[in-house]
Amino acid sequence: MAQAPRVLSYQGIPVWRHIVIIQWTLQIASAVLVVALVAWFFSNIAGAIQDRNIPYGFDFLSREYQTPIGEHFIPYEPSDTFGYALFVATTNTAIVAVVGVALATALGVAVGVARLSSNWLVARIAGAYVEFFRNVPLLIQLLFWFYIVLSLPPTRNTHALFGRVYINNAGVSIPWPLPTSNAAYLWMVVAVIAVAVGVAAHRALTRREIETGRASYPLISGAAAAVLIGGAAWVLLMIVNGQAPLAVSDPAPQGAFGRIAGGFTVRAGLFVLLIGLVIYTAAFIAEIVRAGIQSVRKGQLEAARALGLSPIGVLRLVTFPQALRVIIPPLISQYLNLTKNSSLGGAIGYSELTSVTITMTQTAPAISLFLLIMAAYLAMSLAWSLVGNVYNWRIGFKGA
Amino acid sequence: MAQALNAPNAPTLPPPPMSVGALGWTRENLFGSWLNGALTVVSLAAIAVGLWFSLAWTFFSADWEVIVKLGGRFVIGQYNAETSCPGQNCFWRPQVGLLMATALLGAFWAITASVSVKRAAFAVALVSAAFAFLPYGLDEMGWDVRLLLLANIPALGAGWAIGRYTPLNTPGRAVAASVGAFLLTLVLLRGGFLGLEPVVVEKWGGLMLNILLALTGIVFSFPLGVALALGRRSNLPVLKLLCVFFIEVMRGMPLITLLFMSQVLVPLAFPENFPLNSVTRASIVIILFSAAYMAENVRGGLQSLHPGQAQASRALGLAAWQTTLFISLPQAIRNVIPALANQFIALFKDTSLVYIIAMLDIVQIGRAFIQGNTEYLLHARELFIFISIVFFVFTYAMSYFSKRLEAHLGVGRR
Repeated sequence: MAQAPRVLSYQGIPVWRHIVIIQWTLQIASAVLVVALVAWFFSNIAGAIQDRNIPYGFDFLSREYQTPIGEHFIPYEPSDTFGYALFVATTNTAIVAVVGVALATALGVAVGVARLSSNWLVARIAGAYVEFFRNVPLLIQLLFWFYIVLSLPPTRNTHALFGRVYINNAGVSIPWPLPTSNAAYLWMVVAVIAVAVGVAAHRALTRREIETGRASYPLISGAAAAVLIGGAAWVLLMIVNGQAPLAVSDPAPQGAFGRIAGGFTVRAGLFVLLIGLVIYTAAFIAEIVRAGIQSVRKGQLEAARALGLSPIGVLRLVTFPQALRVIIPPLISQYLNLTKNSSLGGAIGYSELTSVTITMTQTAPAISLFLLIMAAYLAMSLAWSLVGNVYNWRIGFKGA
Repeated sequence: MAQALNAPNAPTLPPPPMSVGALGWTRENLFGSWLNGALTVVSLAAIAVGLWFSLAWTFFSADWEVIVKLGGRFVIGQYNAETSCPGQNCFWRPQVGLLMATALLGAFWAITASVSVKRAAFAVALVSAAFAFLPYGLDEMGWDVRLLLLANIPALGAGWAIGRYTPLNTPGRAVAASVGAFLLTLVLLRGGFLGLEPVVVEKWGGLMLNILLALTGIVFSFPLGVALALGRRSNLPVLKLLCVFFIEVMRGMPLITLLFMSQVLVPLAFPENFPLNSVTRASIVIILFSAAYMAENVRGGLQSLHPGQAQASRALGLAAWQTTLFISLPQAIRNVIPALANQFIALFKDTSLVYIIAMLDIVQIGRAFIQGNTEYLLHARELFIFISIVFFVFTYAMSYFSKRLEAHLGVGRR
């Protein structure tokens, strides 16, 4: 009976061959390595702060920024603080993200469906669109649109379309309903309630239709309910106040330089950024939508057709609900990409988060700014992930 | 009547003319229904109007002089300018890199006997040689530059012969030679030996810079991405946590923000005078960023594998690392070739973001020219259309090759 070799052993296995010990040694080693590296970076940064008098800390947030921000949707003055300026820049990014996502989704779904059209020509046009815009860097597309808008006439001899829409190198001005009195806000509240009632009616009638099999016209009835409530409130407010709660304000050139007043003006930077982001992202979304629709099994469509659904009905009631399960996860990641790609706005003169932060690094500590901007982008990523997860949960797709 | 039709020698009637041939195809694909017909008419009208205006613009109102003016600077940026490379003509150095690339493509063609590699080799050689015959840019493009461009055709032949008749005839050796050629190109571009004027990396530019950044990015981010994916999939909690943290933080940030911070923040994290120039820093950031995305793609591929594959491999006596390296990874990567190709394309497109660190890549060379010569302001669109087409050619070629590779490896046919 051979004597077991006298070695350091655990559970009868030499330690250098024991899987648990090897794994933990490796893990601890890699953790120590990473910690050491990070500590080295931090000690260097700390050294730089001391030796080279590099500013740090978050005190700057309450200092006055003293720099104008090109475009802002909430009130902002150069005398506001760094902290507030960062918030303004974040809202600028968020607005591009939300509006861009809505438009890109609409265009992307349309192109994705068109790509699967039985019409050869339509499918080819959609295919060419996707191939081209997906394969050219966003920056080039943005610069292309930027120089196109830059070459438009200045405001004093602006282009006018239909006499109501003005296009010039400062942006695009469109007619826009503006509140005439505080009654407008009351009406907006009623309008939201009306839409909610309409949606509820649509749901209830759809359920009735499914359960009893009797035609209940959910779409028409829901829309009618919403329009009736909103319209009644409008008429009531008109009678009480003597004027409509909202009035369409037309943009019009004013003064010697033809500054456009009235209406709603999308300024050039935002306009270019939105065009570029929407066209670029829609190409990716179209591919996702196409893949989603193609993932629905053929038998489903054949069964739906056999049951007598119209082609639109098949798409709306059978194809899309099933395709959505495949579409949503990559779609959310495109929303995320659009949000992050809005950081290219700085290149075309739109003051979004990254470009404002870059300007700030001249007067504020870069280290702190980096941490803040990282937190802001991670928060936006989390927000989109949350939207996606809530939706996934709603359509009952557990797992994945 | 019925009897006549069933008669054995009844003539075979041709199919109705409206259901076969060009007419049948048109009817089925363009005018299948009223809606379809209407769509066709509207699309045709839109194409006609679009073509009319774009052709009229291209040939009558567009002024392509800006492209001619920039000429070779699209390709190498400020590399050959007097400020970067004083007293010497440095144009030949990137051209030697191009010659090596052509020769290597020739060698790969001989080794793999693949039609798509052959096409790529011929495309590169012929397009390069064609540039030698451009009528303009004589002051900038001397006879030496033109001769070196023409030399791409013999280089292709030489490379083919090398791949055919010399020991450099296995894919492994050719890949090693490619790595060597890439490093040699970098050394040559940098200069500073044998009387070659040193050219600082910050002066490299044009399409050359985009390609160099993309190549470096692809070569390094791919293995790093695979490692991160394996780390994220591993059952070692510490390793997994580190990988997840790294991947999620990198994916949560815009590349442009990271690039900018690589210029203001990263120098602080290293001791003063640490030899790390701005281009290297940018390149590292691109690699890390791309690796995080790559990792998620590879992870998707790993998840798509049936667990039976790994179990069978272990049962056959392969060690864990052998199972990963020889069983799981090859199948996982093969399954996600399209996603990886898209990631490579995205990386190539992302190289245009180096404007944030004041590098003059092909896009910024054009932009700087427009800003310096405002008389061309109205012709910026010609410039950007040209640059778009350059990018499109490269990215489209990449996606074409990924499709060929996918077909070659038989993805989806198991």
